[in-house]
Amino acid sequence: MTAALAPTRPEPVAGRATFVTLAARELRRFLVNPVFLLAVAFVAWATATTPRSIIEIDSADFYVAVFLGGFAMMATFWLTRSTRYSEPVLGVTPTTLLVRTAALCTVAVVPMLYSVLILLWFLRFHPIGDPVYGAFSSPAQAAVLVSQFVVPSLGGPLLGVALGRWARFPGAAFVAFLLLFGWGNLVTVPSLSHPDSTAATAARMFAPFSFFSFAGNGPDVTTWRGSPWFFIGWQLALCAIAVLMALLRGAEGRVRSRVIRALAITLVLAVVLLVLAVSGGFAHAVRS
Amino acid sequence: MMVLAMLRAGAWRAVIGVSGAAALIGGCGVAFRSTATALLPIAFTLLAAAAAFALDEPASLVVDVTPTGPVRRTGIRALALLAPFVAGALLMLAGALRGLTLPWPATALALAGNVALGFVVASVARTRTGEPGAPASVAVVLILLTPTLLPAVASRVSTFPTGGGDALSSNTVWWSVLVVGTAAVGVSVSRRPRWIPGLR
Repeated sequence: MTAALAPTRPEPVAGRATFVTLAARELRRFLVNPVFLLAVAFVAWATATTPRSIIEIDSADFYVAVFLGGFAMMATFWLTRSTRYSEPVLGVTPTTLLVRTAALCTVAVVPMLYSVLILLWFLRFHPIGDPVYGAFSSPAQAAVLVSQFVVPSLGGPLLGVALGRWARFPGAAFVAFLLLFGWGNLVTVPSLSHPDSTAATAARMFAPFSFFSFAGNGPDVTTWRGSPWFFIGWQLALCAIAVLMALLRGAEGRVRSRVIRALAITLVLAVVLLVLAVSGGFAHAVRS
Repeated sequence: MMVLAMLRAGAWRAVIGVSGAAALIGGCGVAFRSTATALLPIAFTLLAAAAAFALDEPASLVVDVTPTGPVRRTGIRALALLAPFVAGALLMLAGALRGLTLPWPATALALAGNVALGFVVASVARTRTGEPGAPASVAVVLILLTPTLLPAVASRVSTFPTGGGDALSSNTVWWSVLVVGTAAVGVSVSRRPRWIPGLR
């Protein structure tokens, strides 16, 4: 007599194991990437050499976004493109491009965790409630820190993966980085001269990174318009768009239509969050 | 005939595309004058990156073993540097017409130095790979952004003539780059490619 055993759905378990193995492998590759190591060293150096006595946080926080967001974007772009020439071999393995892209996206956790460590170090010298944050409430100050330290460090690497999947030009990552860096500079300037303007606030918020206060060379901190909480939502929507764009490459059939539907929903959500970020917060700039 | 063939094989799309991105960013800096000192250095960095693609040779396995020497090949390919130079010169001209108060001789030297740096790094990398553009451009961007992004370096070295201070002036930096770069290109073109088996 033979006993028939019901199958215990081995496919999802095997798929999960493959994903974990791939993600661990991509993490190892990312950790030894020279551009990422350079970013880690630069952030450590900048953190160590930034003066403890600052008037407002903008002079001490932008480099985390630039290095852990921008440089890590170049690193993940490099990582994603590195398998391009072996695609004829990789393409016939049972692991789909979708799973490989998802595994690549997990490496964004590394710069994000490092930025959390830098943020905790920063809080030791400038705790919540410190005058350097301007007139924001304590929760809003925490939101400003998260939006300037943590979320760009997550979004940059994700954008790098998306660029690596879609862009054929090998220099696309540094061009994107410099364009975003230039855009960040460009859209901040109108708020310096017109801090109460809605258009200037909208321009400043229409970027993956935004400043929320300004001191110039004086002792007073001017807190600009805009809601830090909704800005985090806008940033996270941009992260989701980057992931979905990356996953769209190589997606077929039902998965492709699902990704496209999710992308459309996320785009609408991003627009709503951007409008809320611009219209939220103070009604006019506050000097403190 | 050979000159035209060599020029046709160049990575023109990369050189002109990145120069175009530089013109876009620099153009914004010229249009909105208060952003000029932030955006023009970024534009010049992109022009340096564009210059790094000038020596890309997809068919290098064949080209590098032809009788045409690296000196002649590098000289012909250097014509591609006209694209970043012209883009930079147009930006400076537009800036002067808009009334930007920059030290123009020093800015012109910075433009020449940036473009030369990209070409020098590519020329050195060309001894090891047939398409040095991608790694050389990233290296150049990282080198040029360091003084912009790290306050500790910015207080010591200046790569764009925007102000005084105690930092090493951009003129000193770029004259040094031009002198050392000329020597580096001379040495790199006198060597055969190390990456092709049998040519060592």
